[in-house]
Amino acid sequence: MRALLCFSAIAAPLFAQSPADCRHKAKFGDKAGARACFQALTRSAEPFQRAEGQYGLRDYKQANDSFRLAVDKAPKDPEIRVRWGRMLIEPFNRNKKDAIDLFQEALEIRKDYPGALMGLALAASDAFETKAEEMAKKALEGDPKLYEAHELIASMAVEDSNPKKAIEAADAALKISPEALDALAIRATVEILADKPAGEWLDRIYKVNPRYGHAHYLIGHHLVLNRRYDEAIAQYRKAIELDPDHLHAQSQLGINLMRTGQDREALALLNDAHDRGFREASTTNSLKLLDSLKNFATFKTADTEVILHKKEAELLRLYVEDELRKCIRVYEKKYKMKLPRAVRLEVYPDHEDFAVRTMGMPGVGILGVTFGDVVAMDSPSGRTPGSFHWASTLWHEMSHVFVLVATKHRVPRWFTEGLAVHEETATNSDWGDRLTPSILRALKDKKLLPVADLDRGFVRQSYEGQVVVSYFQAGQICDYVNEKYGYDTLLAMMHSFGARKTTPEVVVEHLKMKPEEFDKAFLAWLDARTKKTVDGFEDWTKKLKQAFAAKKDSKWDDVIKLAGEARDVYPDYVESANAYEVLADAYEKKGDKKAAAAELAKYGQIGGRDPKVLKRLATLQEELGDRKGAAITLNRVNWVYPVNDEPLHRKLGDLLLEQKDHQGALREYRAVLALKPLDRASANHNLARAYLAAGDRAKAEESLIEALEAAPNYKPAQKLLLELDSYKKEKP
Amino acid sequence: MLCAPASLWAATHFVTVAGLGGEAEYEQRFNALAADIDKVLKGSGGDSRVHTISGVSSTKDKLSGTLAEVAREAKADDQFVLFLIGHGTFDGSDYKFNLKGPDITAIELAALCDRIPAAKQLVVNGTSASGGSLHALQRANRAVITATKSGGERNATVFLRYWVEALRDSSADTDKNEAISALEAYRYADQKTVGFYETAKRLATEHAMLEDTGNGEGTRKPGVDNDQGMLAARIAVVRLGSAQRAAADPAKRQLIAKKEELEVKIDRLKLEKAATPADQYRKDLAKLLLELARVQEEIDK
Repeated sequence: MRALLCFSAIAAPLFAQSPADCRHKAKFGDKAGARACFQALTRSAEPFQRAEGQYGLRDYKQANDSFRLAVDKAPKDPEIRVRWGRMLIEPFNRNKKDAIDLFQEALEIRKDYPGALMGLALAASDAFETKAEEMAKKALEGDPKLYEAHELIASMAVEDSNPKKAIEAADAALKISPEALDALAIRATVEILADKPAGEWLDRIYKVNPRYGHAHYLIGHHLVLNRRYDEAIAQYRKAIELDPDHLHAQSQLGINLMRTGQDREALALLNDAHDRGFREASTTNSLKLLDSLKNFATFKTADTEVILHKKEAELLRLYVEDELRKCIRVYEKKYKMKLPRAVRLEVYPDHEDFAVRTMGMPGVGILGVTFGDVVAMDSPSGRTPGSFHWASTLWHEMSHVFVLVATKHRVPRWFTEGLAVHEETATNSDWGDRLTPSILRALKDKKLLPVADLDRGFVRQSYEGQVVVSYFQAGQICDYVNEKYGYDTLLAMMHSFGARKTTPEVVVEHLKMKPEEFDKAFLAWLDARTKKTVDGFEDWTKKLKQAFAAKKDSKWDDVIKLAGEARDVYPDYVESANAYEVLADAYEKKGDKKAAAAELAKYGQIGGRDPKVLKRLATLQEELGDRKGAAITLNRVNWVYPVNDEPLHRKLGDLLLEQKDHQGALREYRAVLALKPLDRASANHNLARAYLAAGDRAKAEESLIEALEAAPNYKPAQKLLLELDSYKKEKP
Repeated sequence: MLCAPASLWAATHFVTVAGLGGEAEYEQRFNALAADIDKVLKGSGGDSRVHTISGVSSTKDKLSGTLAEVAREAKADDQFVLFLIGHGTFDGSDYKFNLKGPDITAIELAALCDRIPAAKQLVVNGTSASGGSLHALQRANRAVITATKSGGERNATVFLRYWVEALRDSSADTDKNEAISALEAYRYADQKTVGFYETAKRLATEHAMLEDTGNGEGTRKPGVDNDQGMLAARIAVVRLGSAQRAAADPAKRQLIAKKEELEVKIDRLKLEKAATPADQYRKDLAKLLLELARVQEEIDK
């Protein structure tokens, strides 16, 4: 029977085989057979058949033309559009917009056409959209045998940290087709994520197709989402070992090697994928990023490796390196552990470069990202002043480094994010993020997730802004645990997660209650803290509007009354058009600088970080004789926007020198010089003054010569040089 | 850059024009800038003759008349400085400065400036599209500064805002000779303008240019490399300190001569820096600077 079948396969005209036959051969690892089959299709007189052949042979340009002809010939056939769309969403093409249009057109031709719904589900899942599952389920209603839909639901359940659901969906797929390879890969993934042997499932895959590298690609994808980069790299390696043509796996291998600081091998792999036609955005952008690394400088110490763009390295190093070392010292004590390797911190002034680092990862508006002991983040120069607190972000990401090391990367997303958010405000109460209007809406609408399901809120948004709300909730949970049980309980929870315990198990073990009971207690605690703002939100909006209207009419007493009331209802609001600034305006108009400064000081203490406002506060403090306060305020600006601001560093240097903080003054005057000022003479003269105050006469003289080299007639520098000279004569 | 000191005895004739705003906001902004420049110039040391045209009098006739008046008064040793504030247009061949009533072209402006005998001239055209005026205005012994690199940059500019700031900010006096030269003000305003767009994360719609050889293309970064900026460095726009008073004191002429001699030596040493061993350079420089400091101390007594 076997021989007969082989004979008939050879004897039958090749073009008689359908695209499904060709794909079947490919799925079962018969590469040569599949290729011959697809080639035969390209010779078909039917454009749809030709398109499928060209698609199978990855001749996407020809396939695109053939699909177009096929649609012209059979405009009412939804399947042509679906297949065309499926080709366009493949990683080789990534033309999601046109693909979605084609799926929608197919649905217009035939309502609820399962193939089109499946296409839309795939497109949505790629962007971690919630509607993906809804689409997949709808597709199954139309075609209950569409096991691919079950596979997609299973994969999304793994992404949502829901292994039970993933197993159920994968098994549903396997019930329809025991050879559903991706369902088997999901079963293997669930085991691997739980640190259990996955041999049984992998053997079943290899039995169907011993060269099915895609299974390892899928496992790698889920490991990356769980921040288990080294294991993901091993899976991607296996994927391309089995299937050297799996360029998406090769690209992901390159990208994740790059993420973990293995740039050389990453470059070779990405270049090769690119040369072989794989032009997916993340590959191309990663190559561009690797190429641009020549513009970066590396600064190494025993426990840090800081990578800064050459154009701002001299300046940022003054702040970033110190902050990183300080952070490591503090966390070593807090987490009671030492990091095994130096931490690598990459700081990108071009947001697009940073974005390359986070491509394909869930989350919205990511500020920093941690890959094991590699941290990448935006430079303050990459964002508008006030929109990004780089120091807070650094401490957040560094918390991940410690937690990932402590748990060997076995930690649910909600906990590591929550602890990182908690650490931000634990470091400095004005750091971290504030209660935003979108969080208030979520609180009002009772949209917070149960702790056991909180991971879901980080990956797939069921409403706009859910990721931000989930960060807030996770942070508040850690604040709550810290307040009620103490920091050691948070550490104990972390270690239990590292020992593979689930969230419900950890809650029961350390908080001594069921997750549902914990949710109730936590929400009551949170409600007490936020009730006034949540309930008063509408009143706050109204009063603030009225305050600004009163400002327009110069009714300063009304402004003070209305804005004061608004501020008390919603003190966390420090964005544009906030109550603090308008109150300060009113007090200044009434000649009460002290009250104006007090309002702006509250703004800073609660987390306001617009450099313009903070500098306004520093000026007022100086005018009121509070020069120490002014220095503290200006130092806050350094944590937000130390770039492109020569006057800030000059002023802060002067204040610190006056307060005998010589090291601080030296840092600020060095910052001025790092900004390549036109007035190098006075910058070097200031540095000389600081050196002299710090007792380093040799360095002071060196800086004075630099000052006078730029401006030989600079009188203050001349005077100081003469003083130094007479001192040398007195004490040679 | 080796520069002869700016002339201390000649007069400087300033003409500042705030052109047509078109809208109230621009009208107010342009007139305020003109008033600021007027105030700074009148408060500056030296022999300054300040003419400021703004508001309803910003017409072609008034501007032409004022330039004719300067042409009659100015001497060959004097300096002449023209500031243009407002909107400009460029149609591919002609630049026009927008005024109340008829506009004035760059060619017409150049002709009026050519009649002024002052040997050192500076035109600072801070309008939109001002780059389109550079070729028409350039001439030997005239430094031309434009807020934009070409006539194609048509958005309202911020360059002049920072130019005025430069005239007020002693840190713009980078060589600390108590005068802010056109080159120093240009570099200050250019750096601040670049910073403005970078900080606001906006695409820069203006790129200032300087041309002072009379036949070049203009450059963003004047310096020894491109032979630009030599004349602009010698045009003092505002004077800050006591240099002029000291120079006028016959008792101190000898010390001033000694000081100038040391300055020349320092400049020469700096030119030879690359060819001098670092230790030797530093030692020689320190010696000369110390000597210069002592001479200055004597002058200031």
